[in-house]
Amino acid sequence: MSYQFDFAYIWANGPALLGGLLMTIQVSVVSILIAAGVGLVGAAARVLRVPVLSPLIVGYVSFVRNTPLLAQLFFIFFGLPAVGLGLSIYASGVLTLAVWGGAYNVENVRGGFLAVPKGLNEAARALGLGPMHYVFLIAIPVGLRVSIPAMLNTAVSVLKNSAYLQAIGLAELTFVAMEKVASEFRTLEMFASIGVLYLGLVLTLSWLVRRLEDVLQRPFRER
Amino acid sequence: MQLIFDNLGFFLTGLGWTFGLAGATLLIATVISAVVGTLSVTRSRIARLVALCYVEFFRDIPLLVNVLFVYFGAPLIGIPLEPFSAAIVSFSLWGGANGAEIVRGGFNAVPRHQRISAAALGLKRWEIYWYILAPQAILPMLPPFAGLFTLLVQATSLASLVGVGEFFRVAQIVIERTTMTQGQSPAFLIYGGVLVSYYVICSALTMGTHWLERRIADRTARLPATGRQAARAAATATGRPQESL
Repeated sequence: MSYQFDFAYIWANGPALLGGLLMTIQVSVVSILIAAGVGLVGAAARVLRVPVLSPLIVGYVSFVRNTPLLAQLFFIFFGLPAVGLGLSIYASGVLTLAVWGGAYNVENVRGGFLAVPKGLNEAARALGLGPMHYVFLIAIPVGLRVSIPAMLNTAVSVLKNSAYLQAIGLAELTFVAMEKVASEFRTLEMFASIGVLYLGLVLTLSWLVRRLEDVLQRPFRER
Repeated sequence: MQLIFDNLGFFLTGLGWTFGLAGATLLIATVISAVVGTLSVTRSRIARLVALCYVEFFRDIPLLVNVLFVYFGAPLIGIPLEPFSAAIVSFSLWGGANGAEIVRGGFNAVPRHQRISAAALGLKRWEIYWYILAPQAILPMLPPFAGLFTLLVQATSLASLVGVGEFFRVAQIVIERTTMTQGQSPAFLIYGGVLVSYYVICSALTMGTHWLERRIADRTARLPATGRQAARAAATATGRPQESL
């Protein structure tokens, strides 16, 4: 084989890759924020057993978990315009990722809430705290310690899954690289660069999640 | 609706490819998981490092990038792969990384004293793994592996991007064909139907997984305390959270 790995080529395409990287980060951050909101609202409805809404959210979560993300994306981008709900590439991408991450976040937040020991509720009542005080002073501070690391893990998955958006033509990292591969055939250079970039992003984020988890668990550790 | 019935045979062929792809991948991924997962619980630091690098590499790079890389990169090292083989290779590498975490969790869930007692009884290193640890670790691994299969069924939709004629690709072809012949896109109906089909298949698999979990929990409830511990630990101690797709 006479394939010559060309570092200068990567350097020359730095700006294009950087543009893709920024788009990846931007679309991920927006989706992650919306997904966090969806998760909080959805979990609240589940925990409070809001009639009608609560079973709908159960259905939503199980639907998203049991269907491929690519199919969800294509349904939103190609399917919805057929019934008059056309969205731009960017909006479709954000919607898909937010709907996907939101479903996982509902379970993440709910899991944190369920992780609050029952004894705390009884103790709070015995001390004369009302339900609102219980929720804000006890359930949320205790529950979020479990929820936040889980939500951040979902955020990392959203970031990775933003690569799916290349399939509908959003100019994010994978798309930029694939376009270069298709026109200039420097396959290894391009894949090596985006591989390193994704690895760097994900490893940094997971490291931060682990550190944060450590900090959040500190008050509960035996001394 | 008519459209779906007209293309029923085509859709079923696609589903066949989907399951073929997922099944073949599961087999190869299981082998990779067993090897890499065992490496990650050995005493050799180098073996653990190799396993860690493998798992991190394939779990941290998006599967979609992995699929495209195997398909477009393979010809460069002189082994051009057709779409189906490329998809199997990349899904197996990815599934193997996720399975390795399951195997590691299973081994770690076996109480430490089992390994220590076996060593005290004079069993050789491989005998400890083969006769003592593996039999106790395998049962709690089954539900997560069933979950992995559900993920693989969903992952196969990515094979459509490199041109494997599985279920999702079939749907795309039907939409393109109908749009060209009838001048109107049935994308909403077809992609909606595709979502529902995947949902039915995958939730059935998920239900099977939960059933398996309960069965195994029942079984281990009758075991002495250590077995129960192991089952509970395996459920929670799979290291990093299960991959989601």
